Amino acid sequence: MTDLRWMTASEIGAAYAARKLSPVELVTALIRAIEDGNPVCGAFIRIDAEGALAAARHAEADIMAGRSLGPLHGIPVGVKDNVDIAGQPTTCHSKILLDNIATEDAASIANLRAAGAIMLGKQALHEFAFGGPSKELPFPFARHPWNPDYHPGGSSSGSGVALAAGFVPLSVGTDAGGSIRNPAGNCGVVGLKPTYDLVSRHGVFPVAFTLDHVGPMARSVADVAIMLDGMVAPGKERSFGTHLQRGVRGLRIGFVRQWHETDMVADPEVAAALDEVERVLRQEGADVRAIPLPKVQELAAVQRIVLLAETWAVHAKWLRERPEDYSLPCRRKVMPGAFLSAGDYVNAQQARRWMIDAVDDALGEVDVLLTASGMDPPFRIDDGAGLAKTYPRQGRSPFNLTGHPAIAMMSGLSKRTGLPLSLQFVGRAHDEVTLLRVAAAYERATQWSRHRPANAGTPDVRPVAAATA
Amino acid sequence: MSQHPKLDPTVLAKARAAGLDTAIAKFPDCVADAARAAAADLADMPANTGTDEPWPGMRVRSGR
Repeated sequence: MTDLRWMTASEIGAAYAARKLSPVELVTALIRAIEDGNPVCGAFIRIDAEGALAAARHAEADIMAGRSLGPLHGIPVGVKDNVDIAGQPTTCHSKILLDNIATEDAASIANLRAAGAIMLGKQALHEFAFGGPSKELPFPFARHPWNPDYHPGGSSSGSGVALAAGFVPLSVGTDAGGSIRNPAGNCGVVGLKPTYDLVSRHGVFPVAFTLDHVGPMARSVADVAIMLDGMVAPGKERSFGTHLQRGVRGLRIGFVRQWHETDMVADPEVAAALDEVERVLRQEGADVRAIPLPKVQELAAVQRIVLLAETWAVHAKWLRERPEDYSLPCRRKVMPGAFLSAGDYVNAQQARRWMIDAVDDALGEVDVLLTASGMDPPFRIDDGAGLAKTYPRQGRSPFNLTGHPAIAMMSGLSKRTGLPLSLQFVGRAHDEVTLLRVAAAYERATQWSRHRPANAGTPDVRPVAAATA
Repeated sequence: MSQHPKLDPTVLAKARAAGLDTAIAKFPDCVADAARAAAADLADMPANTGTDEPWPGMRVRSGR
């Protein structure tokens, strides 16, 4: 059998059904892998071994008795530590919330549990999903699993790292300005920011109310679709992977070249990888055409004003009373909202309306958009100037502003660093099915998702015994 | 208005109005950076007449 660390949720489900693997075996092996590898990359800040093993035993009994809850039954999930799990701390990776124990599961977690998923532990993030790597934080910050000297992206940094390190097949992330898609792209995995409000934000500590999204991260597009099915509330659409095998023949894909060619000039490796994405999609039968959008800087500026104003509303009390309890990167990033006026916020919301219309108009002409995700390959984690470019030089935050679903995935490898490069596909509101269809076709054609960190061979976590019926 | 060695009077006034006295005393560089960041983002905002209906529109419902 494949090394358990690299099995997808789909493969795990098939192995359970065939009695070749049990949830207890898998959870035990992943806990061992985390204990061995986490000190290097800091993906998890807390493992709930006892709770996860209890849930695994429960799932094992049900599955062996033929009572399957579906494709997420017995699948381990890592959770960003700004999402509530009942009885556990939700710290947001901050000193300020070290004693904040959740009294109930976030809605998305409750939905995943109802589908049989197992919560393995809480994952590192940028402080309050906003700060950045800092030694002032109460837990180690996450490092790139392919090379710990590099930044894994954020703010769902631990969630992306855990997938790429083979610690867990699925992660829950959150995204107010690209925080699912940045680490997904940097770490060579797949991250989806769904349509605004598709997945409940209840039980998630807010960054910015009208920009916050909760979404799935995984090592394959199919797993992202399975996880999204489990995250949405009962009664909503639950078959997001319906068209994963249909390919892109006949679909129209709008390539937003202007963003990385003239609005901002992307790193040549990023631009070349995007040209190659275009070639692959054409080869697969898509009609790829250039399409204009408003300037990326204008979209990003409007998003920033909304973000900063709403974040200030969340943090004003603590910034006034205990600013020393924030790490420097977080304090510096949350404070600008103090210098905005009510009129600035309303003006941004006015601009937001026509920006949503502009993206909707573009998606009236094409089925899916292709854009740059980050304009640069991952930076070294000690490169302050590089890290400062990560958030201004990107094409992700515009879709937090407009609410359209957006997915980031690997588009190639940087020759300079050997680390993943990434792309972004964007779909019509509530059309995750077509968005995932395009992403799956690209994934099949390129096989980038099969790349692993160079140290992926250790530790050995192959199953030690077959499951018993 | 009192002076501050690291903050210009306008920034100082806005920071005080926002209740950031502790931060002004302990982290004046952060306060100055924050003011610059806000100004930079406002400068990149597209022109706006101020009369358009903002997003999202008002919806009549209970609010629960």
